[in-house]
Amino acid sequence: MSILESPIDQIAREVSTSETSAAQYVEESIKQLRAQQESLNVMISDCETQAQAEAEAIDKKVAAGESVGPLAGVPIAIKDGICTQGHRTTAGSKMLENFVPPYDATIVSRLRDAGAICIGKTNLDEFAMGSSTENSYFGVTKNPWSEACVAGGSSGGSAAAVAAGISPAAIGSDTGGSIRQPVSFCGITGIKPTYGRVSRFGLIAFASSLDQIGPMARSAKDCAVLMNVLSGHDPKDSTSARNDVPDFTAACEENIKGLRIGICKQHFEEGLNHDVKASVEQAIKVLESLGAETVEIDLPHNAHAVATYYVVAPCEASSNLSRFDGVRYTSREEADDLVGMYSKTRKVNFGDEVIRRILLGTYSLSSGYDHELYKKASQVRRLIKDDYDKAFESVDLIVGPTVPTTAFKIGEHAKDPLAMYLADVYTASANLAGVPGISLPCGFSPDGMPIGLQLQANMFRESDLFRAAHQFQTETDWHLKRPGS
Amino acid sequence: MAQPTSAQKIASLARVELTDEQASEVQQEFDKILGYIHQIDSVEIPEGTEPFYGATESTNAVRKDEVVDSCERETILQNAPDSDGEFYRVPPVF
Repeated sequence: MSILESPIDQIAREVSTSETSAAQYVEESIKQLRAQQESLNVMISDCETQAQAEAEAIDKKVAAGESVGPLAGVPIAIKDGICTQGHRTTAGSKMLENFVPPYDATIVSRLRDAGAICIGKTNLDEFAMGSSTENSYFGVTKNPWSEACVAGGSSGGSAAAVAAGISPAAIGSDTGGSIRQPVSFCGITGIKPTYGRVSRFGLIAFASSLDQIGPMARSAKDCAVLMNVLSGHDPKDSTSARNDVPDFTAACEENIKGLRIGICKQHFEEGLNHDVKASVEQAIKVLESLGAETVEIDLPHNAHAVATYYVVAPCEASSNLSRFDGVRYTSREEADDLVGMYSKTRKVNFGDEVIRRILLGTYSLSSGYDHELYKKASQVRRLIKDDYDKAFESVDLIVGPTVPTTAFKIGEHAKDPLAMYLADVYTASANLAGVPGISLPCGFSPDGMPIGLQLQANMFRESDLFRAAHQFQTETDWHLKRPGS
Repeated sequence: MAQPTSAQKIASLARVELTDEQASEVQQEFDKILGYIHQIDSVEIPEGTEPFYGATESTNAVRKDEVVDSCERETILQNAPDSDGEFYRVPPVF
């Protein structure tokens, strides 16, 4: 068994007591990456040299008796839409093929300060727009459970890196399900925190009112360890919350007797795969056996979440991506005049899905076309949020499937963008409302593909998610299964 | 209901060059996607429903107007496709 299989807190403890060196962990992680990169394509770039230097520095500190952080020596993979100072950050786009950020994202600084070591920058759908990592300029990431299938997206490289045992943890971002959907497809655990819980400074923006960074790892407990480091106010992100950050690992240890869990009937209707439904229902029984009380709840506007999302997100994207115009960010196509240069640069360097969403957003926001659409969608967004507020008056958590299916085949939805959008049907509403959601493994389909269970909680109630998810994982072993074993 | 889309016109507003072939493809995809999106037209909006633009609507974050160390001009311009060492350089505007 690889030393990377250990829980994250154990890795950090062993490094801090010199039982195992940070260099050994980094070496193992690099070894795994070299062995699997060619077949899975999880990384856009590796950070091998820097990782070795950082490991050496940590081991020296330990030898000198200095204190090291709670993630000392933990190899971590970071989505390539998150800026790393001096290390190329592409967002999966030709547009940023040669972009080297002049600063670290706040979460990257926090991870480094805690002793984590970035092992590489993971593949993603271009500018995080997609649900399969097929939209990356750098090629598709394959699912470690079946290379014929997608790893999900947009944080597909991060999910695959953890599932394949390349790194014990990874960082993703989630705008409509981009952490929860790939962790569901790859059989690992990942959380989209409450909007504002984790700083977005240095995350290349897709849709600013929806984007949120979060951890992906093998267990809820590991995610809790990471969340303790990632969370908290950042003066550089005006939308980051000033709320106190509880100890999420302590929450894991609480039993769930009396926890009230809502079952949303809209999550079990048409379109839900039979095997997914059976596994999720079985998982709900486990939660009940642990003392949770379940009640049926109604989220009547949930059915309109995807339609609402595909108005709001493209509108914000069309604005955010206007900065990529050939002036500041490395790529430029020559033309005789300025507007020609803008238009040609964007044509050549953006992929089809990015152009589709920019145009969709421009259409919705342009006077004389459909500009009432954005207002209407924002009102429906209010109704979606009101549904959550009402539900959380009577329950602590909402349980259901993360995605209606298991991982689909590479190329299956290539010609039908709308079918791909529907992969977000259970996840997008949490981003629209701002509430946190976690996805964790709860079974396998007959053909051996992982199934994910989603739990959602009220604003800033991640502790309840960790409590229920960890207790579930003390009773089940779905999260311990590995591809090829 | 929406007015007919014109992919080329929207592309020019968005500063994206499209070939005629791409424009016709985008047009077809748009019709399908907009057909789906417009399901929200059927949602009954109670009177007085304020649009919800994001989860931090009640906060107004300000920070002190202080000069702090940030990135060096030289470092930032290393990512520029073209510069004169001090400013970005672009093709003629007129």
